[in-house]
Amino acid sequence: MEKNTQKPTLKTKKYISSIFIIIVALFVGISIRIGYLQFVRGYELSTKAAAQQTKDKVISSKRGIIYDRNKNILALSASVDTVTCTPSEIKKEKLDEICRELSLILEMDEKDLREKLTQNSSYVIIKQKITPEQSEKIRNLHYNGIYLTEDAKRYYPYGSFASHIIGFVGTDNQGLNGVEMVYDKYLKGVPGRVITAKDSTGSDMPYQYEKYINAENGLNVVLTIDETIQHYAEKHLEDAIKQYDVRNGAVCIIMDAKTGEILAMATKPDYDLNSPFTLNDPKMIELVNSLTGEERNKALSDARNKMWRNKAVVDTYEPGSTYKTFVAAAALEENVVKVDDQFDCNGYMKVANYRISCHKTSGHGHLTFAQGVKSSCNPVFMQIGANLGKTKFMRYHRLFGFTDTTGFDLPGEAEGVFYTTNSFNTTELATSSFGQGFQVTPLQMIAAMTAITNDGIIVKPRIVKELIDDNGTVVRAFEKEEVRRAISKDTAKTVRELLETVVSEGTAKNAYIKGYRVAGKTGTSEKFPRNMGLYVASFLGFAPANDPEIIGLVMLDEPAGAHMGGQIAAPTFQKIFDDTLRYLNIDPQYTESEENEIEITIPNVVEKNVKEAEEILASMQLKCKTVGLNNSEDVVILKQIPTGGTVVPAGSTVMLYTSESADEAVMIPSVVGKSISEANSILANAGLNMKISGKSSTETDNNSYIGAQNPPAGEIAAPGTVVTVDILNSDVH
Amino acid sequence: MKKKSSEKLNNFDFQFFAIVMSLLIFGLIMVFSASSASAHHFQKNALYFIERQGIYAVIGIIGMLYISKVDYKKIQAMTPMLLTISLVLVILVLIPGIGKVINGARRWLGVGSLTIQPSEIVKYTLPLFLAHCLSLRKEPISTVKEFIPFLALVGVFAGLILLEPHMSGAIVVAFVGMIVLIIGGTKLIYFVVPFMAALPIGIALIVSSPYRLKRITTFMNPEADMLGDGYQIVQSLYAIGSGGFFGLGLGQSRQKFLYIPEPHNDFIFSIICEELGFIGAVFVILLFALLIKRGLYIAINAPDRFSCLAVSGIILLIAFQVIINILVVTSSIPVTGMPLPFFSYGGSALVFTLLGMGFILNVSRNLKDSKSGKSI
Repeated sequence: MEKNTQKPTLKTKKYISSIFIIIVALFVGISIRIGYLQFVRGYELSTKAAAQQTKDKVISSKRGIIYDRNKNILALSASVDTVTCTPSEIKKEKLDEICRELSLILEMDEKDLREKLTQNSSYVIIKQKITPEQSEKIRNLHYNGIYLTEDAKRYYPYGSFASHIIGFVGTDNQGLNGVEMVYDKYLKGVPGRVITAKDSTGSDMPYQYEKYINAENGLNVVLTIDETIQHYAEKHLEDAIKQYDVRNGAVCIIMDAKTGEILAMATKPDYDLNSPFTLNDPKMIELVNSLTGEERNKALSDARNKMWRNKAVVDTYEPGSTYKTFVAAAALEENVVKVDDQFDCNGYMKVANYRISCHKTSGHGHLTFAQGVKSSCNPVFMQIGANLGKTKFMRYHRLFGFTDTTGFDLPGEAEGVFYTTNSFNTTELATSSFGQGFQVTPLQMIAAMTAITNDGIIVKPRIVKELIDDNGTVVRAFEKEEVRRAISKDTAKTVRELLETVVSEGTAKNAYIKGYRVAGKTGTSEKFPRNMGLYVASFLGFAPANDPEIIGLVMLDEPAGAHMGGQIAAPTFQKIFDDTLRYLNIDPQYTESEENEIEITIPNVVEKNVKEAEEILASMQLKCKTVGLNNSEDVVILKQIPTGGTVVPAGSTVMLYTSESADEAVMIPSVVGKSISEANSILANAGLNMKISGKSSTETDNNSYIGAQNPPAGEIAAPGTVVTVDILNSDVH
Repeated sequence: MKKKSSEKLNNFDFQFFAIVMSLLIFGLIMVFSASSASAHHFQKNALYFIERQGIYAVIGIIGMLYISKVDYKKIQAMTPMLLTISLVLVILVLIPGIGKVINGARRWLGVGSLTIQPSEIVKYTLPLFLAHCLSLRKEPISTVKEFIPFLALVGVFAGLILLEPHMSGAIVVAFVGMIVLIIGGTKLIYFVVPFMAALPIGIALIVSSPYRLKRITTFMNPEADMLGDGYQIVQSLYAIGSGGFFGLGLGQSRQKFLYIPEPHNDFIFSIICEELGFIGAVFVILLFALLIKRGLYIAINAPDRFSCLAVSGIILLIAFQVIINILVVTSSIPVTGMPLPFFSYGGSALVFTLLGMGFILNVSRNLKDSKSGKSI
């Protein structure tokens, strides 16, 4: 017992104390280690932990609709399902059944399916964009680990219509071209997510969180394009391509002259937006199919890029005489020329040892500046270009925006090509004065024209009007943007007047539209390499000349036959503008001679009441006179003269009878030998209508007179009767 | 006698008892929190583990209080017998048909769910016996001849446990044997030789066994072996790293949802780090530090050499397991299955730990120079 009770020695106590110190040191070390893991590596480790602990399902957002300015749908997304799976969640004993069922529904190979269903991955796409029937069937099977996720497929209701503007999307609905690409960030929206906590087997953790982040639908883009006008532009451009055998594509841009909104931008050739990767040019298809391997891929990619190219924005061309508009404006602004200044054209001009000829090689002779513009005389412009000088010429070239992009919203806009200050010498100045030797984009031309139509201020061209949400609320509106003043208000007005004469009397008579004051300038430029017979024919114009509403450019690249801008581009422009101006309800302003020339088919207004009839007739530029005992507004019309269907000149009077008995007779006066306007007023005073027979009314001028009339003078007729007159020309006389 | 026993009751070490109870209750809460998800999933009963652990805790507390009351000298007298029983059990567990195999290791004895690990018993009986032997000597072991029987004894137990195989158990037993011998005054140089001898054996054991070797390579880069052995340790690191300063909140562990295998076992400390953060982890470490400090204080002031060495051995056994466990779960050393005393799920370990604490409480009543001790 004595031995047993011996006390611990001092040495033992020392040992124990030192061991305690070692333990404390180790505890401190361990705490530091924990702190290191929690603070230094905490973010990394907790992020990795969270990644394995959560399931993240994406809810795709609905891509926005692309509308034209009147909310016609140009592109929309329809929801389709994609089948995905999480292999770890598929029960092994069900694998065979799932393979069999899915292969039947999805028409897929069972072997491929099995491979996908057993992949070592937490997310496998089985099939994208399945039909609603397929989704329905799969949904009803309720298999664990098989998911349907909503996806969207893009549809373009009009196919190739406005393809270069709208653009298209890729397999993941990302915008690849056009507005789809540039406005992708607005259109695509923000995909939502469902985040759920899961245990290591993939089942949802009990009493853990689920976070649902709503998908935000994309915004809808409203274009400035007007579907109808775009349609006119595309149709007439297509006709022109066929008619004139245009080989290298064509462009037509129609723009709101006041706001810069592009109403139509047709670029040919186009492509089908619903299958944008399919080539549509037989020659290209043949070329691509003749190649193999790497060469084929390259050719295919080149052909696609060519097909997708928006000539109106991306490609440059030599503007030719259309550019004279801006040279004239610059020269007038700088006072180096006045409208009445006198010039001489011998058919050519010598500039620094070069003989540069006019398009009219026989020469225009002695002419004023105004006539020089009208006849597009090159020597006149070479002279005023020289008077303007290199520095000012370049300054105005820049002021009109030809040295920079317009900041337009479609991808790949080109800047234009011009001389450097050093390479711009007398010869270059001379050729530049009539628009040869440098390059611009069609879009730059149309933007520069806004300086003329907007009293000197350039307006930025725009393709997107506003962004709206699904309720139609405007989220963002794109306003008119004035770029800079290029010329004074007076100069702009003078140029407008000069350009109107080009259409009414000059080289662009083919662009003339009855009832509208059209102004513009033709252009024909020879392409490089010169003397190969390759031309660009174009017409740049606007209407109405006194208060421009719309600007238009037609550009036909490499027409095989006739190649003059006035011959082929002006008539195309005329057709597009004719349709567009009427569609836009821009009031026609007929000159008196035009009124006579416009023929109107009288509508049938019998059995309508007086008020209705008056309204109908007034809307069709017809006058009316009501005859009867009771002429109050709601009395029904029993008879009209001339009857419905009769063709008469505009401004003719229709007699409306409200009672059978009120028959008035008129004796037809003689108008033979009178001028057209005299005859018209005589007949109108007698309550009769006049119609010029047969001959094309464009041939009439101030020297025309009435040769014969029917019914002849002295005959008794009902008021409103149409007197047909034949026109003779004094020259023949 | 009556007066004496009431005096002894007055000498009850409430401080040590409070620390033990804090650790025990904290441990039970964490076992419940950590096990509920996997218990719900595998046993279809979220309370499965906590129910069992609770029962063992009650048994352990009763045993602890009982042991704290009996005369420790009686226990000292029983140590040769206790060690003999331990030896029999350690041999028995190795016999196929008697020892229960779980996860490829034959470590358990018993029927049904009532099982014990003989190695858990050895962890306590061996230091007690060694303390007894050393206390019988007047002088510390000072010759190799005297040292060899002790070394052999420790070696036999560690070796038998290693055969189960139970590497970590063998390491703990070897450690606790050594530490008692060291504190008992054995020259440190004597441990160098066996260590030098054990080192190649240890290396051979590691290299010869692919699963041990892999633990080493996995330790070097656990994430490279994410789908294999690295999985457990990477999941443990994810849990610790997710905790931050304040943790995700009690019961809010995400890693316990079948990511960490058996989160209520060896890796329970990771769940503590995840739920209670750095604060919680340091709090647990501080509780252990207090336990060890108080335990060693009792040892230093123990009435005799036996109780001093025995208490030191038991306390350092706890300390060693705590340190190794936390080093493992923080991936500071290769993975070895070391339970965290008071926290890790396991009936026999908890009961014997509490019995050990009972012994310390017992010794604590007899402190020679404590305030109460002076009144003796």
